This record gives sequence, structure tokens and C-alpha cells, in this order.
Amino acid sequence: MKELRYRFSTGFFITLSLALLVFGSNNNSVVNRIRADVSGIFVPLLDVISRPLEAADDFIEWTQNLAIVFSENKQLREENNRLRQAQIKASQLAIDNQRLKRLLNVGEGQVETIAAARVVSDSGSPFFKSVLINRGTEDGLKNRQAVINEDGIVGRTINVGASSARVLLATDINSRIPVKLASSGINMILEGDNSAFPRLGFLPIGEKVAVGDLILTSGYGMVFPPDLPVGQVVKIDGDDIRIKLSAKLHNLNYVSIVGYNIIRRPAAADPKEPRSEEPGG
Amino acid sequence: MKVQETKTERGIRAVLPFLSTLALILLMQPQYKIAYFNNMVPFLSLAAVYYWCIFKPRLMPVSVVFLLGLIQDILSGGPLGMMALLLILVRVFVLSQGRRLLEREFLFNWLVFFVLALVFGFVTWAVASLYLREAQNYWTILGQSMLTIVIFPAVVWILGRVRRLLVAEIR
Repeated sequence: MKELRYRFSTGFFITLSLALLVFGSNNNSVVNRIRADVSGIFVPLLDVISRPLEAADDFIEWTQNLAIVFSENKQLREENNRLRQAQIKASQLAIDNQRLKRLLNVGEGQVETIAAARVVSDSGSPFFKSVLINRGTEDGLKNRQAVINEDGIVGRTINVGASSARVLLATDINSRIPVKLASSGINMILEGDNSAFPRLGFLPIGEKVAVGDLILTSGYGMVFPPDLPVGQVVKIDGDDIRIKLSAKLHNLNYVSIVGYNIIRRPAAADPKEPRSEEPGG
Repeated sequence: MKVQETKTERGIRAVLPFLSTLALILLMQPQYKIAYFNNMVPFLSLAAVYYWCIFKPRLMPVSVVFLLGLIQDILSGGPLGMMALLLILVRVFVLSQGRRLLEREFLFNWLVFFVLALVFGFVTWAVASLYLREAQNYWTILGQSMLTIVIFPAVVWILGRVRRLLVAEIR
């Protein structure tokens, strides 16, 4: 009798696991909600567990910085002088640019930082690349929003709960990000494949890419704002172009979640503008 | 009154295997800030389920193993049911051995675990490859299995201390 009960319960739970594996895919909204809720319960705990690791990492970085502080100082002074010159030039160009854009009525993207979040957990698996952050719908997050840090893009939100969210990293096999070559503006797609170096796909025939080329986001797809740093080409093997991401995805402490919208300023003198707001129009 | 107290105490002790395994699952979650290590965090939950199924199988019933696997799946963002299924299979394997694993010395258990961790890694790879419909890189999972084997004595030592709490009080 006991043997029978053991067999029955084991069989039952094996079947249940298999059913979940087959039917509980990521597109199922009930499963997603449960996932988000359970993650939300554990996030405060994971937040506490991950703090000492962050402190240790900060300490290591601090000692490293201490060692190079003198040589770096001299270098930074020189760079500072150079940048001051460049800043003057850049502000002139920015004014020019703004004036020309207004003339052309170019739809300008509006980028807003929705929240800053701490990364509290990592999938830790070679097959699924995602991290958990401690911000959710309560902080204004939604699905499919860009996640970046100070170095470049990190990924996008995929499962947002009330106070936690899962971020699909750019290296995950399911990640596709529209990017462009910084120098020529050729559009391509960054395809994750679970390796540390994601692949660049859809290079137009006849176009060339070289090792060291900079890659930026293109802004297509309306998830990532344009011109954010993505990475650099590190290896080309026939059609296989590999990118080293600017952001260190194995060492994420804080990330920003950004929203991106296109806004068109109504040009007052333009007769082709929609007249819905005019009385009687 | 006194009897009830000991009952609650006993209840608390009975969940120690669950709590200790859950703690190890939580330890698998944070980012360890080390390149490549993030891809191959040791399967601490495998070591814990293996340990408790040998020494206290009644405190690690199949429903608890299922729950722990599910929590791990949710926290790590993997496919729901994958770890639940694999950990249940580990339990089935250990229980099929009867008392054979219980009465042997540590080195023998480690050797069995060596093979088990490799098979576990391989099955994880197979399930993930099927789930993602693309054959995945198997070197990282081999590394993950190896790290699990290396860290096994430490896990056994910690869980041994937890078990001593159990043994001392409930006879």
C-alpha cells in the first residue's frame, strides 16, 4: 500500500513537471503572473544576500584604483584639457543641429529614465541569461523596456511584477536588438546565442565590417533609444561576426530602465498639419 | 502544554531539510561578479536533495522536492518545471538504492555523486536544448557539473551540522 502511494505521488509530480515544461511557456499570462509574484516575494531576501558581494566587489575595485591613482591623475589632466576644447565645439554643433532639425520638423525621440534598479539575482545557468531587478510596475516599469547601465545596453524587461522584474540580457538566445555600425550607419541585428559574445546578423551584401568597429543601437523597434553604446566587433569569421558588449553583464550592480517615445512638434506654420483641434474643422 | 510545545518544536525541525535546501537555492541566485562563473554556478540544490534523500527521505518527500525545484526554476528564470522534474528524478534514483547509500562511507557517496552530477548536467543540457530547439554548448554545463562535484564536501559538511540538530532532538 505504501509502495503504491509512493509510486502514485512520484508519478503525479513527474507528470505535473512535464506538463508545466510543455504548456507553461513564457507566453502564458497566468504562469507569468505567478512567476512575477513568487520572484517578488524573494527579491527583498535576494537583495540582502547580494549586498556583501557588491561590497566585496567595490573593495576590490577600490584597491585597484588606489594602485593606479597617480599615473591616472596625470592622464586625466591632459584629457580634461582636450575635452574642454571639444565641449565648446560640441555645444556650437548642438545649437546648429537643433535649429536644422526644427526646420525639417524631424520627429525627435524622447528618452526618459523611468527608474534605477539594483540587480539582485542572476540566472546562473549557461542556457538562460537573465537577471532579476528590484523595481516593478509600482515604479512605472512595463514589459519590453530598455535596460542600460553607464557602459551601454544590458537587455530588456520581459516579466514585470509589482516590485520586481526580469531582464532578458542581450546575450540570451532569445534576444534580438536592432543595432547599427557607428561609422556608416548600416543597420543590423544583434542576436544573442547564450555565448558571452553575441552575433551580428543581417549585414547587407557588399558591406564590410572590421574588427574594432563600434556598434550602437539604431532605435528601430522602439525599445532601445538610438545611439546607445552596444559594443565592439571583436572577431570576424566569414559570416560570423562577434561583438564584445560594452556593459559587463557578469558584473551588474545598478541599471537604469529607460522609455523611448517619438514626439513630433506641431509646426505652427505648416498647413499640412492635422486640424482636428481647430473649431469646426 | 508542554507536549504541544515539543510538537511545534518538532514541526520546526521537520522543515529544516526544506529550509536548508531553500537557503542553498537562494545562495545560487546572486551575481558573483566573476566572469564565466555566472554561467556555471554549482547545482547546490542537487547536492542538498541528494543528501537529504539519503539521510532523511521522509523529511524530503516528493512534493517538497517538486516545490523546491519550482522555486529554483522561478528564481533563475529557466523553464518552469525543469529543475522540479530533474530533482524528482534524483530522488527516485536515491530511493531506488534503498539503504545502500546510507551505510557507506563518505568517499563512496562522493563517487556516486560524481556520476550523478555528470548525468544531471547532461540531462539539463538535453532538456534545455530541446526547450530552446537548438543544441547548446555543452562545455559550460560540464564545468557546472565539475564545480558541483568539487563543492559537494562543503555542502555535506554544512548539511551534516543541520542534521545533527535533527538527530540530537528527535530520536
